[in-house]
Amino acid sequence: MGAAALRALPWALLLLGPLLPRQGLQANPMVTSEPSPGQPAPLPAGEIGGFPPAPPAAPEVIHPLKEQPANGSGEGHHKPRKAFPVLGIDYTHVRIPFEISLWILLACLMKLGFHVIPSVSSIVPESCLLIVVGLLVGGLIKGVGEKPPILKSDIFFLFLLPPIILDAGYFLPLRQFTENLGTILIFAVVGTLWNAFFLGGLMYAVCQLGGPGLNHIGLLANLLFGSIISAVDPVAVLAVFEEIHINELLHILVFGESLLNDAVTVVLYHLFEEFANFEQVTILDIILGFLSFFVVSLGGVLVGVIYGVIAAFTSRFTSHIRVIEPLFVFLYSYMAYLSAELFHLSGIMALIASGVVMRPYVEANISHKSHTTIKYFLKMWSSVSETLIFIFLGVSTVAGHHYWNWTFVISTLLFCLIARVLGVLVLTWFINKFRIVKLTPKDQFIIAYGGLRGAIAFSLGYLLDYKHFGMRDMFLTAIITVIFFTVFVQGMTIRPLVDLLAVKKKQETKRSINEEIHTQFLDHLLTGIEDICGHYGHHHWKDKLNRFNKKYVKKCLIAGERSKEPQLIAFYHKMEMKQAIELVESGGIGKIPSAVSTVSIQNINPKSLPVERILPALSKDKEEEIRKILRNNLQKTRQRLRSYNRHTLVADPYEEAWNQMLLRRQKARQLEQKMNNYLTVPAHRLDSPTMSRARIGSDPLAYEPKADSENLPIITIDPASPQSPESVDLMNEEPKGCSGLPPSPEEDEEGLVMRVKEPSSPGTDDVFTPGTGDSPSNQRMLRCLSDPGPRPEPEEGEPFIPKGQ
Amino acid sequence: MLLVVYPLRSLRKGLCRRETIWQYYISILNWWSVSHSQITRLYSRFTSLDKGENGTLSREDFQRIPELAINPLGDRIINAFFPEGEDQVNFRGFMRTLAHFRPIEDNEKSKDQNGPEPLNSRSNKLHFAFRLYDLDKDDKISRDELLQVLRMMVGVNISDEQLGSIADRTIQEADQDGDSAISFAEFVKVLEKVDVEQKMSIRFLH
Repeated sequence: MGAAALRALPWALLLLGPLLPRQGLQANPMVTSEPSPGQPAPLPAGEIGGFPPAPPAAPEVIHPLKEQPANGSGEGHHKPRKAFPVLGIDYTHVRIPFEISLWILLACLMKLGFHVIPSVSSIVPESCLLIVVGLLVGGLIKGVGEKPPILKSDIFFLFLLPPIILDAGYFLPLRQFTENLGTILIFAVVGTLWNAFFLGGLMYAVCQLGGPGLNHIGLLANLLFGSIISAVDPVAVLAVFEEIHINELLHILVFGESLLNDAVTVVLYHLFEEFANFEQVTILDIILGFLSFFVVSLGGVLVGVIYGVIAAFTSRFTSHIRVIEPLFVFLYSYMAYLSAELFHLSGIMALIASGVVMRPYVEANISHKSHTTIKYFLKMWSSVSETLIFIFLGVSTVAGHHYWNWTFVISTLLFCLIARVLGVLVLTWFINKFRIVKLTPKDQFIIAYGGLRGAIAFSLGYLLDYKHFGMRDMFLTAIITVIFFTVFVQGMTIRPLVDLLAVKKKQETKRSINEEIHTQFLDHLLTGIEDICGHYGHHHWKDKLNRFNKKYVKKCLIAGERSKEPQLIAFYHKMEMKQAIELVESGGIGKIPSAVSTVSIQNINPKSLPVERILPALSKDKEEEIRKILRNNLQKTRQRLRSYNRHTLVADPYEEAWNQMLLRRQKARQLEQKMNNYLTVPAHRLDSPTMSRARIGSDPLAYEPKADSENLPIITIDPASPQSPESVDLMNEEPKGCSGLPPSPEEDEEGLVMRVKEPSSPGTDDVFTPGTGDSPSNQRMLRCLSDPGPRPEPEEGEPFIPKGQ
Repeated sequence: MLLVVYPLRSLRKGLCRRETIWQYYISILNWWSVSHSQITRLYSRFTSLDKGENGTLSREDFQRIPELAINPLGDRIINAFFPEGEDQVNFRGFMRTLAHFRPIEDNEKSKDQNGPEPLNSRSNKLHFAFRLYDLDKDDKISRDELLQVLRMMVGVNISDEQLGSIADRTIQEADQDGDSAISFAEFVKVLEKVDVEQKMSIRFLH
């Protein structure tokens, strides 16, 4: 498929060929082929990525009604009458969106193509393949005679980078990150500084010795170059490390480093860029530079935190308009990024901070669907961004002006590697004094080897302006060489090396409830021990933060009941929800694992006494009648068209029902007590359409009568449509002053719900299972659900023997 | 040496008769094999907790620590310090319990298995935690014991059935021999993915 796309591209280009300008046509004011040095092109009205100059002339030729501005004045009334154009082409009108879409489509098709050819993608990481594709496409465009677009820094920093960082930040594994924060910070800050200065200094020495071509490059220029190239790139690291499935510690170390070193890079870059204009650098400037590091990093984090809190607060009120919830998350995060960039603070840190801060609160507030939406949108955007970045890197390589200087490039490469290795070794030796779990030499090797450079370095280099840095092309060439080397050589070989060194891989299993409980238990234990020792360590502060969070923050930012929900319960709910969804998706009423059935429905303790079942007495043919009517009704409700409203999300019956089920446990006892007064079906009869259908369908004896004449309930089956004429009222045979149940019209979305006399408002905790635990009705329901199908009817009144565990 | 021994003189009250201070000190060092400064630091903590100044700590001394009062497991942790049936703990007992939380050294991992297992081995750490669950000391965490712990950790807002279902689920996941309780082996197995060596270690006791 990738090959097909490749073949299609030149055809697409050829088709557009006649529309593309020839030399000498009047210039389109919108177009610049290369950005004027140091001046980013205006967006989005401006040219995107340096695309081939638009064809202004062609549509003017074809559009006869358009006046020629050059010669329009005298000729207006002499224009010959042309025929009305039935079919016309107006390319400029759609040019920019069209080309953007074409590029994105190319990126996606490439991704698709790689997975169709599995043999290649197992050896070569995707990033390499994408760069190669970019090279090919760039070469193709050049071959056709056009100027290939270059990855402009603005596009990169404003549009391509944020999704990747947001995806990383929102799903950051917070526990490992905070546990290793010290290590990560040392690598990010000290390591990057070391790299920058070491490399800059050595390159200056090389330049001095390098002959006439390099002599003029000053110390500051070299330091600037060093600072650009020394930063480990999060995009490249993500792209490569995700495929090798390395253990979480190493992953978070390298990845965290690549994220946090952005602050250092930003400061150093701006610092040296400014200093290059000064004649002399004083101590004051250095001190200010040092200060600005703190401002940039902490300021970025602060901006992120503010936006995160605002986003969490907003999400508290979105319970009525669920459809735009994901948008809040994206917009606030993007605004955090832009606001930080506005003040020259670290945008990446702002983005990470906002994602980390808003996540626990937003997830407690938003619906499950929104959560899925956010997850998938982020993954989608970041995936596409990553692909585009690598393709553009390839294209820019072909398109850019290069100045190859052997000495400079080779020495850059060499010193980059040496600096990285030395830095990691020294820092690890220092860090290991403070770590409980030391970093082994294997770990150190992977950390050093995983220091990949990527598109950020390229874009930063691209931003340099020609006026101050005449050797920009040489810098760019060196940067591209280093990027290629790290991505290709290191990226390709890291996977076999990981296997060779038998580095621990990621464990794929999910966290079980046991782990969660015991980990919390150990947290409390360790906090207690630390308090006894009088030592204010890691656990102490974490505990304090948790308490603060629970007491004040959660109350503000989480809506309703969930603000008081302990973490354990939230985890448990999430787990149950996931299992329930898996259960339903697998279509298996009969496939319930015993774990789910045992616990999710209710507590089953087979030894305790059965509670009385209260069910109507029905004869066999009445049952058949009921079943027939139900079947018809259910089918009808499915086919009925609801009035179309774009803004409402149709509630997922499974999710709704499951939520209700989970939330409805507490009032069982109360309702059972009220049973005698109301003479209604006990509330535990309320259940989801799935369960009721299961019960009806699979177990014909679900309505096994119990001889208890006082508590004969009434079941009103109300299919979802209040307009349906066939709502069935089943009255039991001996009504004893029971009042009928009014069908409540509000709860439209439920397929089949049996009502209690006291309809519960949505959201209150109503009952699904009785609290005393083991009514045989529930056992029966359980058995129905575990029942593979309708069975031959045993004798009436005899309870089923529960199936073995 | 005198400087070393001097602060420990008041420990004499906690010694058994035949032991000298020097042996006492060496025995503590053996458990710890770390710097003298750590012992003195913990000793000064011990004395600051010991309001009665009799060289031993009682339960009330522990309960005076404010953060322990709000810790859900506070009582159980305090009980873990006191050996069976006793109400006072001396410095050696204090250190003995804390010895479980020393980080595991790399060079210890390759020690031969002939000697007694050090107190801070993974297995002993887990055993310590297990004993905090298992109050009746029958080597099993029964459903009720688990429920008690859950209730302590979760607070009062959650209903009994919900906790009950969580407890059932937990036992079901861990239980392999079908006795509806978690034995020590099962406990160890469940926590095999958790990095217990790091989690149950206090850094300054290094």
